[in-house]
Amino acid sequence: MDTPSIETRLVRLAKSGDRGAFADLVELYKDKIYHLAYRMLGNRQEAEDVVQETFLRVFRSLDRYDESLKFSTWIYRIGTNLAIDRLRRRRAAYSLDAETASASDSDGQDWHGLLASEDMSPEGHVLLSETQRRIRDAIRSLPEKYKSVVILKYLHDMSLQEIGDVLNMPVTTVKTRVHRGREFLRRRLEVEEDFT
Amino acid sequence: MKDNGTGSTANLRKEERTVNCKEALPIMHEYFDGLLDGEGAAALRRHLAECPACAARFRAYERTEALMRSLRRPETPPGLTASILAALPPETRRRSWFRWIRRHPAAAVTAAFLIVMLGSFLSIWDQDSRVTVSGDDLDGIIVEGDKVIVPEGTRLDGNLTVRNAEVRVDGELAGNLTIIDGSVAYASAAHISGRVTKVDRALDYIWLKIEEWFGALVPAW
Repeated sequence: MDTPSIETRLVRLAKSGDRGAFADLVELYKDKIYHLAYRMLGNRQEAEDVVQETFLRVFRSLDRYDESLKFSTWIYRIGTNLAIDRLRRRRAAYSLDAETASASDSDGQDWHGLLASEDMSPEGHVLLSETQRRIRDAIRSLPEKYKSVVILKYLHDMSLQEIGDVLNMPVTTVKTRVHRGREFLRRRLEVEEDFT
Repeated sequence: MKDNGTGSTANLRKEERTVNCKEALPIMHEYFDGLLDGEGAAALRRHLAECPACAARFRAYERTEALMRSLRRPETPPGLTASILAALPPETRRRSWFRWIRRHPAAAVTAAFLIVMLGSFLSIWDQDSRVTVSGDDLDGIIVEGDKVIVPEGTRLDGNLTVRNAEVRVDGELAGNLTIIDGSVAYASAAHISGRVTKVDRALDYIWLKIEEWFGALVPAW
């Protein structure tokens, strides 16, 4: 076998109870998982929650980690699944909300994800450029099926094979979704271009 | 783009793959997926050269790709690492000890050595807590339990060393008095011609040990 990656070595140390090694794994992946979750959910608070939950799951499952799987694939899988779960729950809550729309008070948690991110610039205190805002909105409007694939491909520079590993789906399915996602984005971005 | 393949050159390329708009689309996607082979690339290039609609679409995909890759990363909130680590279940004590030993083998060996040293020293020290009196002239000196008395009217010629005792000098001492781990009291009539030195050996020893301890551990930390 070839020499273990940094991640594998850190996982081994973390397994033996080394908190410092686990902290190193957090440092290596927190930005990536935050970016993933933020693009999936479009909301800072929820993205932060997903990152927290992801690392907690990683920590609890260290003993079950299979070294034949790349650590990055594993952690991305956990993070993506958590974000998708939230999207689904939100959608369920949203449709439920719509039915009882008049009765709900405005700061209900379910609306949070849809509305909260609009008022504040998510990129911190820097004002978003018009272009950046357009791309962000295009991603946000992607159907969930294409969203994870597009985010992993464009924002995390993953190959189709890696995306297939993360999402546990055949490469052919990934490919189809990338193509449809690309078409969707083209339309969104072109239409917006015509407006300006 | 290359020459569009009309006129006389068309005959030369008859056996080359040609694609229509419907076929061109998946090839375009393959191209943007980075999976297109040379033959497909040539066919696509030829099609784009003769089909303005597909060429426009190709450029639109190109812009989409570029835009997507230009999206900046959001700033990760500060303190995220700390809150992640704080949310983990608490560490067990035994494990942290064990881990410390694993990570600092040199320091662990040093510490173990010092503990053994200190233990043996203390056991020796304990045995050595009886009263001892030594001197050039011990005539007339009184030892009562842990009290050593130089009675009034007595004159001792020479140095006196007392260990583990309360010393009371009522008489005269023509020499130095050294008290190890003890105390001294004088009567008004007492007279000591030499120096009085008090040594707290246990304390000195501990100081010495502490210095050694840090001297040994710091470089290995």
